[in-house]
Amino acid sequence: MSQALSFLRNPLVVALALIVALLVLGNALSPGFASGQQILRLLIVAALLGIVAAGQNLVILGGREGIDLSVGGVVSLSAIVAGNAMNGLDAGIPAAILACVATGAFFGLLNGLGVTLLRIPPLVMTLGMLGVLQGLLVVIRQGVPSGRAAPALSEFVTRPFLLGLPGIIWLWIAIGLLMAFILNRTVLGHRIYAIGSNEHAAFMAGVPVRRMRVLLFVLSGVFSAIAGFCLLGYSGSSFANVGEQYMLASIIAVVLGGTPLSGGKGGYTGTMAGAVLLVILQSILTTINIEESGRQMVFGATLLLLMLFYGRGRGLRA
Amino acid sequence: MTATPSIAREGRGGFGALLDRFPFLPAIVILIVLLVLNGLFEPNSLSFRSLTGLVRTYMALMLLAVAQTYVVYAADIDLSVGAIASLVNVTIIVLMQHLGGGGLSVVAALGVGVLVGLACGLVNGFVVAALRLQAIVATFATSIFFTGLALTILPVAGMPAPTAFWRTYGGSFFGIPFVFYCVAVLAVLLYLLARSRLATQLLAVGDGQQAAFQSGLPVTAIRIGGYALCGVFAALAAFCITGDTASGDPLVGAKMTLFSVAAVVLGGSALSGGFGTVVGSVIAALIIGLINALVFFAGTPSHWQNFVQGLAILAALMVGILVSRRGRA
Amino acid sequence: MTKLKLSGVSKAYGATMALRHGDLEIEAGEVHVLIGANGSGKSTLCKIVAGSVRPDRGTVLIDDRPVTVSGPRAAKALGIGIFYQELSLAEHRSVAENILMPDLPRKGRLFVNREALAETAGRYIALFAQVAGEDLTADTPVGRLRADQRQLVEIMKALASKAPVLIFDEPTSALDRAQVDRFFEILRGLRNEGRSIVFISHRMDEIFAIGDRVTVIRDGETIGTTTIADTSPAAVIRMMVGEQEGLAVPQDAPPASATGGGTALSVAHLSGQGFSDVSFTVARGEILGLGGLHGQGQSALLRALFGAPPAHSGAVTLAGAALRTENPRSAITSGLAYVSGDRGRDGVITGRPILENVTPVHALRNRLMLASPGRLAAGALPALKALNTKFAGLSHPISSLSGGNQQKIVIARWLIDRPDVLLLDDPTKGIDLSAKADLFALIRKLAEDGLAIILYSSEDAELLNNADRILVFNGGSVRRELAGAERTRYNLYHAAYEAA
Repeated sequence: MSQALSFLRNPLVVALALIVALLVLGNALSPGFASGQQILRLLIVAALLGIVAAGQNLVILGGREGIDLSVGGVVSLSAIVAGNAMNGLDAGIPAAILACVATGAFFGLLNGLGVTLLRIPPLVMTLGMLGVLQGLLVVIRQGVPSGRAAPALSEFVTRPFLLGLPGIIWLWIAIGLLMAFILNRTVLGHRIYAIGSNEHAAFMAGVPVRRMRVLLFVLSGVFSAIAGFCLLGYSGSSFANVGEQYMLASIIAVVLGGTPLSGGKGGYTGTMAGAVLLVILQSILTTINIEESGRQMVFGATLLLLMLFYGRGRGLRA
Repeated sequence: MTATPSIAREGRGGFGALLDRFPFLPAIVILIVLLVLNGLFEPNSLSFRSLTGLVRTYMALMLLAVAQTYVVYAADIDLSVGAIASLVNVTIIVLMQHLGGGGLSVVAALGVGVLVGLACGLVNGFVVAALRLQAIVATFATSIFFTGLALTILPVAGMPAPTAFWRTYGGSFFGIPFVFYCVAVLAVLLYLLARSRLATQLLAVGDGQQAAFQSGLPVTAIRIGGYALCGVFAALAAFCITGDTASGDPLVGAKMTLFSVAAVVLGGSALSGGFGTVVGSVIAALIIGLINALVFFAGTPSHWQNFVQGLAILAALMVGILVSRRGRA
Repeated sequence: MTKLKLSGVSKAYGATMALRHGDLEIEAGEVHVLIGANGSGKSTLCKIVAGSVRPDRGTVLIDDRPVTVSGPRAAKALGIGIFYQELSLAEHRSVAENILMPDLPRKGRLFVNREALAETAGRYIALFAQVAGEDLTADTPVGRLRADQRQLVEIMKALASKAPVLIFDEPTSALDRAQVDRFFEILRGLRNEGRSIVFISHRMDEIFAIGDRVTVIRDGETIGTTTIADTSPAAVIRMMVGEQEGLAVPQDAPPASATGGGTALSVAHLSGQGFSDVSFTVARGEILGLGGLHGQGQSALLRALFGAPPAHSGAVTLAGAALRTENPRSAITSGLAYVSGDRGRDGVITGRPILENVTPVHALRNRLMLASPGRLAAGALPALKALNTKFAGLSHPISSLSGGNQQKIVIARWLIDRPDVLLLDDPTKGIDLSAKADLFALIRKLAEDGLAIILYSSEDAELLNNADRILVFNGGSVRRELAGAERTRYNLYHAAYEAA
């Protein structure tokens, strides 16, 4: 590929171009698809996914087969915790936030300790944790009422707040800026990339590799918890396993955003675009009038096609 | 100069060598402990009848775990095994229904079922090994596609299997339950596969793709072979699901994918490839079954059961990994 | 008759030219030696012949017919077998399976013929039965073998290919004398059968023992081919080094030890993995050399001082205070610096910008939280300049640089904030001569500024030219200390081989 076209290799550019193309396509298939209202609705859904994917992104960037399959479980649990903590009252929101963050951090910490101290592969550790979380959800829902969102929270997620955008979009933008800042302009960010691209060299240069890895899992838990908190505001009340859909979707958003599962390269801006792309794609498929079965097939095939743009491994022959 | 390393190796003792040959030893110990515990809480659970029921229910997971093991041999992973099983399940149900449900129709449907599994495996192998997409996300995408296909064939769960089919699966011949014949056939099949060139080559690829390539192995073809084998075993798993549930359900296998991965790890195989056994995976599938049974027999309140199961599986995974690493370190 | 002919072969990895221009002609029935410094392109040339690297340009002829080696399988079909320097073994497979992995014996179409496998592999194992050690059996998993035994298995694997052209890329680096002798016997037999053998080694005595002709490769170009009988080790070295030789020997006489600085680091009865009961002191302004054969505990000692992993017992004192290093992090904050020659493993943060590769230690020592590019660059640039590092911009990925410049980036990492003690673990491995010259000039200057430096080098000339004192290691402990006029090549060799 010539130099002039090399920007086409940039995952962010590809994702943005695909987003525009899909919006045009969606509008052609169903006029009004790309209206302001619709796009706003899509962005809210994308924000929820994007916040989960922020934590997923960090864990994946840290390398050593880093992946967090327990995010969906944390999202669901956090939504329930938040619902019970606020129980429909605005006054309960601060306590709910604290409870959510503590929950996410706790399970993230367990994942991180399992992965570092016991050296259990992340896929296995977080898969096992997912099983525990799903069990815990059943226990909680049997024991206590599942709780409702406070009006302020629902408003934060669904009602315009500033410049016509709801609070959750601003929150997502803030998280995006924060992630970009951390990854590019802090020593912490440099260290995340360092352990992801050459863990041993990072260790020899004094990077506290284990502590870093634990931190990444904790952050993943916290981001999932924040997403669960917001999800409660989006749906009004928490119900069974609302978070389940986020497990693989968050991984796909990261991959479509140009962060390979092997870690050490990529960033969150691409992931945000990946999340939007994924949500728009799903939305188009719900818009067009076909059976659920056909929708799934098109979705799966499109995902494969998108992955062909990037995320392909190197050939064996140098 | 030559003496130091060999001294260091002797310190590791015979346990390491034993684990090298039988990586599923920790799994067997866990299995026995669980059997004993089950017997303590509910003596009846060790009766021939209960054990037959356990095998009948978890035969599908055993086969899925075997399917997963062959791709993990080569350091790949297949998150679509459950979807393939669902697809084969609805395919054979619908075919048997259309063909009238007689003996011949069952045989024809099973033949088609194996071919469907094989085709799905080939698709997975193609996208992962030939197109070089990342296995986790690529097989997740194909799983969505296969689920879509399954929904096309049978939009809602419920179409029943022909009586002859599930009666056979649940029945006995010459006093021996049919599932035990299945186990015997599986044992022979696994024995033969263990001696196959493909199994050895898959393990070599898992040990180091670059080294295998430089040795002149057709790495891409071998990986596709692993996925094909995986597809076929997922189809066999679907037959057992169909025999056990006696109906078609386009989403029946979805929940089993992650259990198949857990079983592979629990059975002593390394997700990083190159090392492991299918026997371990089969035992691990039974462990998962026994954990579920134990949680029930131990009188756990119903809404606590999932949680305790989850904890027990996580604990078993940790113990398995720690023990096998201590042996090999 | 020319069996294999390569002309004008080249290969670049990104900005790095691995091979500029390779010409090679191998006759049937000869052992053809390929020699050149680390990183001169030997391995790349071999891999091109073996099909595992795709050349950018050039032609390959076998029996005077042009061929395309499209991959290792094609190479096998064309009759080319290779011993890979980094080995191509599957760790968990048995010795027998590994030997025959490229073509497992069949039973039917699908199955492995276990009997044939055991029998055929057994023949190759038997070739080395006297020298391989009893624990090398057909059933042993390769992961349980020693380094020398693995190398023997890789040799057996190459032999089992029965290829008319056999390439051995450093097959003897871990072998002992008896193993090498046995291997050479086999090689001579193969040569007499009329097979063509390419042989790479760094040991001059081996080259002259086994070679018929030698081709010298330097900086990615084949310089020339001569008959072994018509040349001498000195002449071969001259061809390898070329006109740049002057750079490698900066001083005629090594500078006298600077003793006025006082003790910087003292080590008493230190034992750890790979070394035992080592004691010495190093003064400020002194360059202490560690010598001896490769792998006698020198690297292990330096790594232990740096806490990776820490020593088991003994005491280390840094500037009068007891030093306890648990990991590299605590070593760095105590004022130690460690440069490894294995930059791929220990040094380079692959794929990241140069800036991020220079600054991690700076960030740690100053407890920085923010990584402002401007401020970091201000710290990094003087260190990079001191080493004459060539780079286009700090934001470019480190992989865009040549090996020598990558190593300079890694070294610069330790110099932004002045350490008290600099540990150099074979720091010039695989870098070009001018980079070496830059590095040693800087090291001397750092010593003059009062740094204590411990230098291990696998090249004796580097030690003799740069170290004020040399501790000669053997079997994990110090056998002799050479100071002043004792620092001669003769004494160094004598001490190194004494107990071997």
